[in-house]
This record gives sequence, C-alpha cells and structure tokens, in this order.
Amino acid sequence: VHARVRRNEDLRLLTGRARFVDDVQLPGMTHVAFVRSDYAHARLRRVDASAARQRAGVIAVYTADDLGDYGRPAPLLVAPPPITDLVFHTCTHRPLASGKVRHVGEPIAMIVAESRYVAEDAIRDVIVDVEPLEAAVDLEAAMAAGAPRVHEHLDSNLAAHVVQRKGDYAAARARADVLIKRRLLYDRGASGAIENRAIVAQWDAQAEELTIWDTTQAPIPIRNGLAARLGLLESQVRVVAPFVGGGFGPKIMMFYPEELLLPWAALRLGRPIKWTEDRQENFYATTHERGQVHEAEIALTRDGRVLGVRDTFLFDTGAYDPYGLTIPINTQCTLLGPYDIAHYESEFTAVFTNKTTVTPVRGAGRQHGVFVSERLLDAAAGALGIDRVEIRRRNLLAPDRFPHNHEIMFQDSAPLVYDSGDYLPTLDRAAQIIGYESFLRDEQPRLRAEGKHVGLGIACYVEGTGIGPYEGARVTVEPSGKVRVATGVGTQGQGHYTVFAQIVADELSVDVSDVRVITGDTREFQWGTGTFASRGAVVAGSACHAAARAVREKIFTLASQLLDVPPDALELVRGRICVRGAGERGFTLAELAGKANPLRGAVRPGTRPGLEATEYYGPDRGSTANGVHAMLVEVDPETAMVAIKRYVVVHDCGTIINPMLVDGQIHGGVAHGIGNAFFEQLVYDEQGQLLNASFMDYLLPTATDVPPIETAHRETPSPYNPIGLKGVGEAGCIPTGAVFAQAVEDALGGSIEVREIPLSPDKLFTLIEEAERT
Amino acid sequence: MNLNGTFTFSGPRAAVWDLLQDPGVLAKALPGTEQLARTSEDQYQGVMKVSVGPVTAAKFDVTVALKDKVPPQRMAMQIDGKGPVGFTRGTAAVVLHEQGDGTTLMEYTSDVQIGGRIASVGQRLIESVSRMMMRQALEGLERELAARLGAEHRQP
Repeated sequence: VHARVRRNEDLRLLTGRARFVDDVQLPGMTHVAFVRSDYAHARLRRVDASAARQRAGVIAVYTADDLGDYGRPAPLLVAPPPITDLVFHTCTHRPLASGKVRHVGEPIAMIVAESRYVAEDAIRDVIVDVEPLEAAVDLEAAMAAGAPRVHEHLDSNLAAHVVQRKGDYAAARARADVLIKRRLLYDRGASGAIENRAIVAQWDAQAEELTIWDTTQAPIPIRNGLAARLGLLESQVRVVAPFVGGGFGPKIMMFYPEELLLPWAALRLGRPIKWTEDRQENFYATTHERGQVHEAEIALTRDGRVLGVRDTFLFDTGAYDPYGLTIPINTQCTLLGPYDIAHYESEFTAVFTNKTTVTPVRGAGRQHGVFVSERLLDAAAGALGIDRVEIRRRNLLAPDRFPHNHEIMFQDSAPLVYDSGDYLPTLDRAAQIIGYESFLRDEQPRLRAEGKHVGLGIACYVEGTGIGPYEGARVTVEPSGKVRVATGVGTQGQGHYTVFAQIVADELSVDVSDVRVITGDTREFQWGTGTFASRGAVVAGSACHAAARAVREKIFTLASQLLDVPPDALELVRGRICVRGAGERGFTLAELAGKANPLRGAVRPGTRPGLEATEYYGPDRGSTANGVHAMLVEVDPETAMVAIKRYVVVHDCGTIINPMLVDGQIHGGVAHGIGNAFFEQLVYDEQGQLLNASFMDYLLPTATDVPPIETAHRETPSPYNPIGLKGVGEAGCIPTGAVFAQAVEDALGGSIEVREIPLSPDKLFTLIEEAERT
Repeated sequence: MNLNGTFTFSGPRAAVWDLLQDPGVLAKALPGTEQLARTSEDQYQGVMKVSVGPVTAAKFDVTVALKDKVPPQRMAMQIDGKGPVGFTRGTAAVVLHEQGDGTTLMEYTSDVQIGGRIASVGQRLIESVSRMMMRQALEGLERELAARLGAEHRQP
C-alpha cells in the first residue's frame, strides 16, 4: 500500500494475451444479429420472420411471440430508497419488443445463424410492420398535457417524483440578503467504452451446466438472475466476465435484452452462441446517461454565507427505468457538495421519453448536481462582489463537523453521511498549484493586453463512493508459496489485479507480483454484487484485507504450533515465518502451506486445511471522497474554440493504495469530463432519431484535446474501513463541466454566462454573438 | 426535413403533367430507381438505391400514393420508403404553372422524415444528398421532356 507498483495485468494486456469475450471461440458456435427498431415510437402491427427462417444458414429466428413467459419484462435492478411520498412507476424493458417499440434500436427479433454475415443478411428478410406514433423527446414537452405517452397504462410520462428536505428552506429564504435563481441544463452522452458489449453462452448437456461469458460489471448478480429466470440452480450457471475493455457504468446495467436472450437460445438450440455488439448498436442499445433541466435558487447572506438551496429538476430516464432512481438521487445528494448547507429542498421528476434507457455512466448524476451548486456559487460571487475561491472557503464544512449527516437519503438507501474530510486545504492547494492569485493579478491582465482571452476555473466536489452491501474474497497460499486471491467483482481495466495484490502482499509479506488475482468468474468466487459506485477498491479491497489478515493469523498459529513458540515470538518477513532473532528456525510460506494440508496423520479437531481464508466486508454506508479541479483555458472568440492550457486536480480518496493507479483513474476521468464539457452530446431530432450514432459525428476528445493533468493527493482516511479507503473511479469527470463553464466565462471577461453543458464551439459562438449584440 | 423549390420546364404544362404520370419516364429520371411500377390508378411501387455518406447503395422499397390530383395543375404525394438501413416517410406536393411563354414553372414542397441507421450516420449529408437527387431528377425529367417534344416535332 502506498507504493507506485507496476500493474500485474499489463503484460497480458499489452502483449494481446488477455482474453476478452470476443476472443472466446467454441466448436459449432452460432452467431446472432438483432432486428432493431428504426422508429422511436411505434405500434408493432406484425413481425413476420418466415422469410428469414428460410434463408440458408439461418438456424432460428425468435420474436416476442416465441418467448412465451420468458418474454416478460426484466426485473427492476435497484428499488428506490424509502423516501416519504416517493412516487415510482416501474416500467422495464422486455427481451424483445411486444406491442410497441419505445426507442430507436429496441430489439424486435433475434436471428441465430451459422455466421454473423448470414445473420446480418437475414435482418432484411424480417418484415416489421409498424404504425408510427408521435414521439416524446424533449423533457419539458414530454411532461406537457397531451404529450405522446411512452407507457400508455400510465396517466403521463412521469416515471418518478421525489422530494427531499433538510431544515427549513422557506425560513432561510426569508432571512436571506440575496436570492439567486438560475435555469441550468446538463446533458450527458454515451460511455464510449473501447469494447462494446459481447456475450457468449454455451450449454453443456453432459455436465448440465450453462457457461456465459459476458462483458458485465456484475457477473454474480447476472448468474443469480439468469439461473432463476431459466429455472436452473445457481451452481449450474457459471458467468465469466474476463478482461473487459472499459465499463463506465452501462455494463453494470442488467439485464440487457441480449443478456436474457443468448443463454435462453443456447439452452434451446444446444449449440454455443455468440453476439458482439457493433459500434452503431452500442449507440442505440447500450444505455446512456442523459439530460436534466434544473430550476435552482440559492439564498445567501451579504457576506456570502449560504443559508439554503432549493432545486427542482426534470430527469430524463429514457424509455424504461430498470435502474431505479440512482442517478437523480446522486444528483440530489451531490448538489450539497463539500458545503455547509443547513437548509435544502430538492424535488425531481423523472420523465419517460422515446430515447435509449438511461442508467449510470461514470459520475452517475453527480456531475449534474455539482454543476448546479458550483454555477450558483459563481453567480453569487459575481452578484456579491466576492472572490470565487473566497466564497467557497467561507462555506466549506470544517474538519470538526465529521461525520456529517446531511439528513437526506443517498442512493444506497442509507442517510447521506460524510465519513471524514478536510476540505479547505484541498481548495488552497489547488489554488496554489494553478497560481490563482498571481494569475488573476498579473498574468491574465498581461495576456489580455496581448489580445489573448485566457481564463481560470476552479470548483469543488465530493464523490459518494464505496457503498455496500458487501464483497468477499478468498486468499490462498499455494504450495508453491505464491498467493491466489479470488473475489467476485469484475474488472474493466481499473488495476484490480494490482491493488488487491498490494493489499494482500502487505499482510503476507510477499512480492506483489507473486499474488495472482482472479476476478469476475462465479466459479472462483460466488458471493458479491459488482463493480460500480467507485466501490471496487473500497469494498472488495477491504474484503481482501480481511481475508489476508485471517490467513496471516493462520500462518502464525500453525507456525507457533509447529515450532512450539508463542505466536508473538514469530515474525513474517519476505515470505518466511520464523522465530524473531533466530531466523534459521522457521518455514517458508511454501513449506508451511504443505504442512497445512497433510496427506496422512491426525490434525487437531476444528482444523481448517490450507493457508486459506474467506472473508467479507460490508460497510454501513459509503465513504465520501472530495477534491478540487482547476483549469486554465484560452478561448478564441472568432472560432469559439477552447484550448485547455493547464489542468490541476487535488484529490482526497483517503488512504492511497497505488498513487500511479489513482493518477490513472483521475486522468481517464478528466478526459471523460472534458468530452462531456465540450465534445460529446447525443443529438436527437424531434422524432426521436439519434442523429450522431457514430464516431464520425459523436466526438470523443482525442489526445490533443486533453492536456497533461497535474495531480496532488491528500489523504484523509475513512473511518469506515480498516485501510481508510475511499473510491476514486469517477472523481475525474464530476466537476469538469462546472470548472470548464467558469473558465470560459472568465476568459471572455464575464461577458457571457454559461448555463448549459455540454458546450460546443457553435453553442459558445452563439453565446458570444448574443453578448456582442446586447 | 423540408425540401422546397421551383424548376422551369421548357414545355407546356400538359406535357409536363403527362410526363409525371408515366412510370417508365419517372424510373429513368429519378436517380437510383431500380424498378418502378404503377400498382393502381394513383399508386406507384418501386425499389430505389440511395447512397448517403458511409451508407452506400442502400435499397429502399418505396410506395408513392398520389392524392388530391387536379390535372394538369397540382397533385400531392404520400411517400413511404423502407429498407435495411432505415425508413423515410412524408408528404410532397407539386404545383404546375403555365408561364405563357411555352414553359412551365413547377413549385414543389416536401416534408420528409428519415429514420434508422441512415439518419444516425448520414445526417450531415442527407439534406445535401436529397437536394442533389432532386436536381438530378428534375434535370432528367427536363431531358425526357425535350426528347418527347423533339420526337413530336419530327413526327408530323
């Protein structure tokens, strides 16, 4: 722990030997293509697959009619938290559309063929006869009276309505010297993982076992859910999530239609079956994270103390809501940020629209909340004539206020309590690194005199991470002396094979490279939930720690028995346990592992063989990381292009396991955030057609758009777990939009106000033009 | 998408009108038309091949239903196209004005929706491709018209 250790997984990844789902090739394997809806909203009158079934090489074509009861809607993945007067309408998707299609790309029929080529060709043989309907696309229009209804059994497109309150906002408002209101928009795009989704399913009739390779972030819940739905024992189903090329949230969604259909068809056909999503399907059929429209108000005293905030927002949940309310509740909770806000009232309405279903994407609504609070503070600073950093300093929670209960409910159905934090030094450090004061005093006026429009942005955020319920790990010292760690979470490139190894290596005094980590295979470890909410290192890491501790105890106990000395007379150094001060009296871990598993003779009653232990870790609630991002930008007012000159992140994720990996997480997150701030937006027309479903038109930031990122770390350990960990996976992308907005405004001398992210050169150009006209 | 405009044909209105009722002529004039047949008095069915940016030679089964016909002045059309890469549907209207100098002015308006894969990868180019196809079609019709009128002149 704390060491900049090279990653155990990189040799396999960099030499192309890592297995991804699409690498799985099985004899007799069949291939799948899906007939998907071209319409955002339409009644399905007839689906005729008879011609497709006649095509040479087609093995089967399934429509909703062929599925019977298996075609029922998918389960609700996350039930809404117990909040008073909460309204939630569960409308989950079916494996194949029946009666109606509700977004472009919704699957209508599944074609199984001898090759993907044949399957794709057969798509055109399927006759899909539809009656197009008007689509609900714009959020506010979808809530207006008479709007087309996505789900006709409901009275409107309202999917959920939630109010959470803390203190008494009305009273705070009455006391305020200043009230500032803003309408703020925040849209979010696709996850853009380098690997699209892929599934291979194989039914072994002799062993009566179903094996599924799946690009999921949650192999164990996938196994459990599929076993139940298919009528198999959990022990008959093995789900393997091998190396996965980026998760970012959509791969924690379950159950995707394809995930339900391939195993079902493998059982029916008795042949292995494979589907790999193509990039275009990924734009339609893999979940997005989408827009929110906020009407927010902040009440302050004259000297910039925040008395309270009221926020009302609409949240676009897309066509279905299988993931419950995780995103808008994250928004609601994260809006409070690192600030001491005594009075808060937040109301949201989740809205069904004829767009791809919305589930968490890295940040998962947190960036929406941070955007609102940071924009309000910027507007307040301007109105009150207070410096931007100073107004934040005046409102940060002081270190003696932890644990801090915000009195509202978080996404994990536990109250929003910050475990620990020390926010002011984080802000000061960021301001110092970016050179806040000297920039404003000297550099900016000098550059402006040269005709350069350079600006600075700085914003704070918190990230609720490491939520329950639990994860587990099994640690085994093999007879070779090498250590094997198995845990249930899946890995998508985060470096689990290294950080879990570091935690275990520390406890067992072995080299990190001698610890082999296995994740994401239900046969290796069968209890746990998955990789989400920046919880892998915190929750599974703590479980690895607990299991390693238990093995360490076993090592000491057994050695003490064999050497006939008390355990506290022993020491474990570099893979060898021996009597302290008498190094020749002892065993290597390899020797001891052999002795822990004797072939003959008697052992004491109650002995558990091997140097092995399984332990679990489940926190009461998550731990809260925090940070400050600052950036310098230069805006070209002629072209409205923005160049990011510097990017600084000061981050506190508690105890750091591997600084190199934390930096890597932050770098990737910032790139994601920059994409969200200025490049990426999914554009729909008024009929609900996605107009930029390819990387030709959907722009991801490239290496030239992402500047070198300067990071600094602070460590305020979490009291909720033994190592003091907090998560870091989403931190890089949470405040990026807010910082970008502030920096661009600053560069243009405050002549414009940014109330919308993503910005783009053309939106910024329009803002500059409008400002020049008035 | 709205596609509106005017075009002047070098011939009398009645001749232009007749041209527009002849599936053989339309099939030749409309770019990418592989088949076109009149299936009833006011209905045409055919297959068109369209290329928009990265979507090349995409086939569409097209049905055109004529409505509100007032020969030789005006007609409206309901257009429905479907293919493996998406769909198109919408309405169009054509009005023909006799110009008095032997030419005919055509005013056309259309409101067409495009959906599916062709919309999601080709949207940057759909409008310019549509305009280009419209221009090619009108120029093709103009050539047909000239050929017809020329033939009539030679015959007597």
